[in-house]
Amino acid sequence: MPSPVHPGADVAARLTDLTYWYPDSALPALDGVSVDFGDGITVVAGPSGGGKSTLLRVLNGLVPHFHGGRIAGSAQVAGMDIVQTPTRSLARTVGFVFQDPELQAVYDIVEREVAFGLENIGFPAAAMRDRVDEALVQAGVEHLAGRQVRTLSGGERQRVAIASVLAMRPQMIVLDEPTSQLDPEGSSLVISAAIRMSEAGRSVVISEHRLERLMQVAASMVVVDAGHAERQEPSTWRPAGPSIDAVRTRPPGAEAWSLSGVTAGPARDAVLHQVDLGGRRGEVLALSGPNGGGKTTLLRVIAGALEPLAGTVERRPGRIAYLPQNPTALLHRPSVRSEVELTLDRAADLEDPKVILRTLGLDALSERYPRDLSSGERQRAALAAVLPGRPDLVLLDEPTRGMDSFARTALIRLVAALRDAGSAIVLATHDSELRDALADRVALVCGGKVTEQGAVRA
Amino acid sequence: MNARAVAAWSFACLFIVLFTTNPAYKTAVLVAAFVTLATTAGIRRMRRLLIAVAVIGAFDAMLNFVSAHLGRTVLFALPDSIPGLGGAYTLEALAFGLTGGITIAAAIFAAAPFSLLLQPHDVMDALPGALSRTGTAIAASMNLLPLVVTSFGEVSEAQRLRGWRPRGPRSWAQVVVPVVLTSVEGSIQLAESMEARGFGAATRSSFQKSKLEWQHWMVIAASALAVVSFIAAHAMGGAKDWYAYPSLTAPQLDLPSLVACLLLFTPVLMWPRD
Repeated sequence: MPSPVHPGADVAARLTDLTYWYPDSALPALDGVSVDFGDGITVVAGPSGGGKSTLLRVLNGLVPHFHGGRIAGSAQVAGMDIVQTPTRSLARTVGFVFQDPELQAVYDIVEREVAFGLENIGFPAAAMRDRVDEALVQAGVEHLAGRQVRTLSGGERQRVAIASVLAMRPQMIVLDEPTSQLDPEGSSLVISAAIRMSEAGRSVVISEHRLERLMQVAASMVVVDAGHAERQEPSTWRPAGPSIDAVRTRPPGAEAWSLSGVTAGPARDAVLHQVDLGGRRGEVLALSGPNGGGKTTLLRVIAGALEPLAGTVERRPGRIAYLPQNPTALLHRPSVRSEVELTLDRAADLEDPKVILRTLGLDALSERYPRDLSSGERQRAALAAVLPGRPDLVLLDEPTRGMDSFARTALIRLVAALRDAGSAIVLATHDSELRDALADRVALVCGGKVTEQGAVRA
Repeated sequence: MNARAVAAWSFACLFIVLFTTNPAYKTAVLVAAFVTLATTAGIRRMRRLLIAVAVIGAFDAMLNFVSAHLGRTVLFALPDSIPGLGGAYTLEALAFGLTGGITIAAAIFAAAPFSLLLQPHDVMDALPGALSRTGTAIAASMNLLPLVVTSFGEVSEAQRLRGWRPRGPRSWAQVVVPVVLTSVEGSIQLAESMEARGFGAATRSSFQKSKLEWQHWMVIAASALAVVSFIAAHAMGGAKDWYAYPSLTAPQLDLPSLVACLLLFTPVLMWPRD
């Protein structure tokens, strides 16, 4: 256990025997956590719902100042008592980048957005332009200075969020799963920005599920599970074992759906052009490609949620299970179990809700209110809400978003079982592990065109 | 574009169009506001606004025509036995309704520059220091509006694909509840993000203060002059009011009042063109 001294040059933050309860919660979200955060990159790892986001929020005081609840123990950053110092006062010392790039922007123009924090602390207007320019360069987004925030991609938005905290010149920067909603290119750029920040002498604390690249440069690692935090040497970390090869038990069957010469897009603006594509029962088709390439539009056309502007769509009759990119769009019932029951009732399917809850590792969460869950747990709850029973056509939009390796493995098993039971499956995903484990065919969706990459497996 | 100059011009337009009952001056303001928008924002960006104004204005005119069976010049009549519609349809009621439509159209065009020509940060920069924090919070919440619209589309689509069908008002709860919850969560996350970036930590400074160039001063001066001269003309017996009933008469015009309205064309010369 670390001694209760003020953090020095090599200790940016120190939590000592810290226990925290969210409001109205009997169980602590963090339980007796004692851990130091030093210079360089500290990776915070652990399963979904284990307490990673809560731990990160302690570092800038959002827990407890914004979220309320009870806290015991001590927490210090750069010599300041986090429990006694309001978050707004810690903002100069600790910068925080959130998971969702769409819910961080206050201003409409990039350079204004970057200046927001400086305006809040009353930074002199005359020196603000230089600070903003400096931060834009450090985050690698100087070319976006005059752009409207809403026109940016997810990766660009996250780097603007990083620039926004860099403008404050904080000693520590905390990033909470900043790449969970980004395509590989966007993720790579954000991770590169995080590495540059640490090279510039800042303490960087980052929570991620995909650790391969970060672990090569991490100075330390903290594993958070069930509210307990434990420091581990990054050198002891090993990538997850070989991904599950979901061996099929029977070959694909008849054609389940097809698109012929389809041009489609929301609000009559064509996003997809002249697409010819089809899928069979008992087959998994993976859609890959960058954010904004048209994967979601393609899924919506296959589902019948979006009428094509030209061309024809054919589907065999049957139940469609559709997981939207934003899983919270589905969740409105008082418990995870009741979400599953709703779908089974509507489908007049007699399957026991416990089956899918157990498969996705949601047994212990079945009576919880879905919106109280962590983002990875919510994703699993949404999957449980759409996939019970025997859907004929399964359409999943980024199903592994925010998922840990355990949940990913459970999903792979579930999708493989549906495939073997004869469901036609289409996955839109950036997750190469998921693709490798499940896809019979891969189609690249980019710039409105769909190009088949050929059969992955016989 | 300067928000203070826009505010001055909008105020002058709104003041005259609401102050007078004379359709001639109202029409002059309507034309000034339309031409200003068309030259600065461009007709293409105004397309939706034009449709909305046409629909609202026409509705207002028709409502009066159908419901106010007053006036001496009867165009046609429907039997009194038809509930709500029966009675005489008069030229006076039509003219009065059209005047109401012109008022609404002019008022909408006068306020439209705030959405068509200005960005939220332009308005925030123009606010006095005491309102800066409130303005920031309002601007931030405005950023959430498109997300609410998107969320409604996503939720209703996801629920339809899950087997939901709209069957009466109560069934919409399965769409409305998740949309409201998602919006509330979005607001909380945005507030968390603002807090984490020091919102409320000190007296705010500004990256870019609203600066008034000579063109903006010209618009402000012209707007102020328009209001003052219109009031003065009215006080001296000009800018006569008009009433459609009981018999339709032509609205009276006087030169000083008309010149006051013409001053509202000043932004056409001063503001950058589309």
